[in-house]
This record gives sequence, C-alpha cells and structure tokens, in this order.
Amino acid sequence: MPIHDQSYRRYRGTREAHSSAWTVIAIAGIKAMIRRRVFIGLILVAWIPFFVRAVQIYTTTNFPQTASLLAVTPETFRNFLDQQASFVFFVTIWAGAGLIANDRRAHALQIYLSKPLTRVDYIAGKLAILAAFLLLVTWLPGLLLLLVQIILSGSFAFARQNPFLFPAVTLFSFLQVMVASFAMLALSSLSNSSRFVGILYAGIVLFTDAMFNVLRVITGGTRLSWISFPANLAQIGDRIFRMEPRYETPWQVSLVATIGLIVIAISVLERRVRGVEVVT
Amino acid sequence: MKRTPISFLSSALRVFDLSIGEMLWSRRTIFMALVVAGPVLIAAITRGVASLGPVMQVNGTRIAGATIFGLMIWVFYLRFTVPVLGVFYGTSLIADEVDDKTITYLFTRPVPRGAVLFGKYLAYLVCTIFVVLPSVVLVYLLVVPIGGTLAQSFVPLLTDLGLLALGLAVYGALFAFIGAEMKRPLLTGLMFVIGWEPAAMLFPGYLRRFTVAYYLQALVPHAMPQDSATSLIQAMFRQAPPIGASLAWLFVFWLGFLYLAARAVERREYVLEQ
Repeated sequence: MPIHDQSYRRYRGTREAHSSAWTVIAIAGIKAMIRRRVFIGLILVAWIPFFVRAVQIYTTTNFPQTASLLAVTPETFRNFLDQQASFVFFVTIWAGAGLIANDRRAHALQIYLSKPLTRVDYIAGKLAILAAFLLLVTWLPGLLLLLVQIILSGSFAFARQNPFLFPAVTLFSFLQVMVASFAMLALSSLSNSSRFVGILYAGIVLFTDAMFNVLRVITGGTRLSWISFPANLAQIGDRIFRMEPRYETPWQVSLVATIGLIVIAISVLERRVRGVEVVT
Repeated sequence: MKRTPISFLSSALRVFDLSIGEMLWSRRTIFMALVVAGPVLIAAITRGVASLGPVMQVNGTRIAGATIFGLMIWVFYLRFTVPVLGVFYGTSLIADEVDDKTITYLFTRPVPRGAVLFGKYLAYLVCTIFVVLPSVVLVYLLVVPIGGTLAQSFVPLLTDLGLLALGLAVYGALFAFIGAEMKRPLLTGLMFVIGWEPAAMLFPGYLRRFTVAYYLQALVPHAMPQDSATSLIQAMFRQAPPIGASLAWLFVFWLGFLYLAARAVERREYVLEQ
C-alpha cells in the first residue's frame, strides 16, 4: 500500500520535567525487585533484629528489674546498625549486582541513553533502587526503634537525653547505604556478569577485612584498620554515635578512606556508563 | 555401524581438557591471582620489616615466623580464600554455561551430562590448586625463616597444603551442587560461607557438624588465632573432632555433594532466558 502522508503526528502528551527522569528507572527497578518473593523473604529476615530489639525495649520499660541487664542506651542503636551490616551486605549483592551488569549484557545501556535521559539520571535511578532497599533495612528500622522506645516508655525522656540519636541513626545509615551502593554500582558497571560482580564485591569486603585481621595480629595494634572497608565504617559509626572508637586509626583517616572509595566509584561510573563505546 | 558409547571418565576428561584452558585464561583467574597475591605481599613486607630488626612484638614478646604463617593459613586461606574460591568457581560451573546460553552445545554432545559437571569440576580443582598452593609455599618461604628455620615447619606445611587442597575439593563439590540445583547459587553460597558456617561454629552442640569448616579446622596444625570476638567464642567452644573422623566426614561430603551435583545436572531441565 503506498504511503501518501509522510508527515508525523506531533506529541500531544505532557512533558515531564527533566529532573524526574531518574524516578522512572527507580520505580521500575523497585517494582521488579518487589515481585521476587525470595528477596522479600530476605528483607523480612533483615527485620528480625528490629523485633528482637523491640522486645528488649518492651522488657526494660515494663520490667525495671531487667534494666541493669538489658538497658536501652545509645549503644543499643549503634549495635543494632552494626548487626544490620550483614543484611546490607546480602541485600547489596542481591539487588545491586545486576543493576548495570544486566543492562550491559543485554546491550540496553545504549537504548536507555538514547531516550531523553542523561547518564546522571540513569545512575541516579539505579542508585535509588539499591539505596531504597538498603534504607529499608537500616534507616527505617533504626528510626522505628527510636519511636518504639518513646511509645513504650510513654515518655520523651530518653530522646531528650540523647538528642543526637535521630541525626546519628540517619547519618550513619545513609553513609552505610551510600558506600555500599556506590561501590556495588561501580563494580556492576565493570562487568556483564552479575555473578562475577557479586563475588567481586564479596571478595573486596572480605579480603580487606582478612588483611586487616592478619596485620592486626602481626603489628599488635589496630592502626591499620583503614585498609578494611567494614572497619572504616565501624570507626566512623562509633564517632557519629559519640562512642569510644574501637580502633587506633583516627576516625578522620577512616572517613578519608571511605570518601576515597566513593570518589573512585563515581569515577568508574563516569568512565563506564556511556551510550557509545569509543574504540581508539 | 554401531558406535561404542564413550565412558564417563573419558567424557569427563574431554570436558576437562576443554574447560581448563578457558578457566586458566579468564578474568576469574585474575581475581584469584589478586586474592592469593595479598598474603604474599603481606609476607614480603613482613619479611622486609623483620630484616630491619626485631620490631614485630606483641606485649613485649617477639612473634616467630611460624606463628605468623599459622595465622595467615587460618585467616587468609582457611577462612577466606578456600570458601570464597569454592563459592566463586563451584557455583559457576554450570551457571556460567546457562548464562552464556552455551549449555545446549555441551548437552547435545554424546557424553553423559554428569560427566560435563565432573570434567568442569576437575578443571576447577586443578586451576585453584595450582594457584593457591604455590602462594602458600611462597608465604612459607618468606615468613617462616623469621626467628625460625624452614625445616622445623616443613611437616605442618605439607599438612597445610593437603588440607587446603581438601578444602578446595569439598567446598567446590558442595557449591557445584548448589550451582547445579539452585537458581541463585552465589547468594546461597555466600550465605552458607559467611552466615551459616561462622554462626553454627559459635554454638556448642551438634549444629557445627553441619558445616565443612568444623571438620577442616580440626586438621589445622596451627593454633586458632583469637583476632576477634567471634574467634574468641569459637575457641571457647571449640571441640575438634578426631582427625580420622574429620577426614572421613570430609570424604563423605566430597563424594556425596559431587554425586548430588552430577545427579542434579542429569535431571534438571535448564531453561535459557530469551
């Protein structure tokens, strides 16, 4: 059939503001993850420590004789976030390993970037997917725990005595999430195989920790804790929660190492997430 | 003319021949080389520092090279390298072929499906053993002469090499089974190695018997380092089974998981993503 009309219809819909383009990727990714029942199971398991802590708070507020053993202190919240680190690790691998690697494998990166979407939008969208689930197992239960304490004790006394707790939980959770998310996204952009990315992430986290543990015994001190990523976060966390740092490394050094990791990750993303492969 | 079927072993050796080259010259080997280079680097630095003077002291006591070597065997190799490489390679044996959509080419050959897995497993074993064990020997040569002699620690070195090879074999078989049977083998493997094993080892009683580490750690000729709170608790409740029993159980695990892995590959229908 001959085509007589070679014109095209103009787009009559409304144009979304450019700044919200990343939300499309984020929402689609979050929905895709929610559809996986086993993943939801993992998230539910990650909430078990919250319920254990809530029972602890209930016991101490209702049975004062247990207060000496189970007293709720700022350290309780610090330890809670420490415990969540293992769930952060698993959720990061599960939700994050394939975020960019799968797109690279399917050659979908070029398709994404041929849309009205910048590289920053793409990375922000992918980052938001992982960060959303990580905040779900760190920040949200942390804050709820604080709320549970206030509700069950029927008083704001604890919150007033420790006004830094809300910002501390927020700051540390976001730091934990940002480090894990940026590191995983950068690794994900380096490979087409999500399994390789997962093992690379696990390898880096466990290897740096193993290195530190060996050096700790050899040197008889903890001055070299900055080489371990989990140790750096723990050190900064102690500082944020106004506790005695657990290692001899100054917390500023741990902070620099952590920021350095994020900067390296951003630099990797900047180089690897491109619509066109330039072959020289 | 009737064709004689190829035996299981010769089929496995064909697959081994095909896989060993792929495995040795892959990016995975680079990852593995980096993992085993870490201890060698630390050993070299330690040796360099030790040659400057007796600076390696804990609470005023000088640490002997043999002690540092034992520590590195525990922390680097037994707790990290062996399980992680087992997870990494073991879970990839079949999953990689499924991901690359090349499993069809292997399954359409006139070889038993189980032999495909067995051949790939052999390639994994040779590849990891030939990278990990030389690294252990290098660490031994660098570290043990610090305040001691190589001859004194030679027998423990042989024991270490044997138990690390055994560990790679058993973990490899276990994760080959997980890789052949499960949809998300990497995460399951990591949960076993990082979650289940350390947690089960913390509790007294029978729970720890459902781990590979319990039997493997019983064979280590060096004292368990107490480098963290977890290690302290583990050392407190440590009940090492007899060496004979450990070896027997490890052998049972090895054969059992290898059989289960081969059976899973024989029976499972792998659906390739379109």
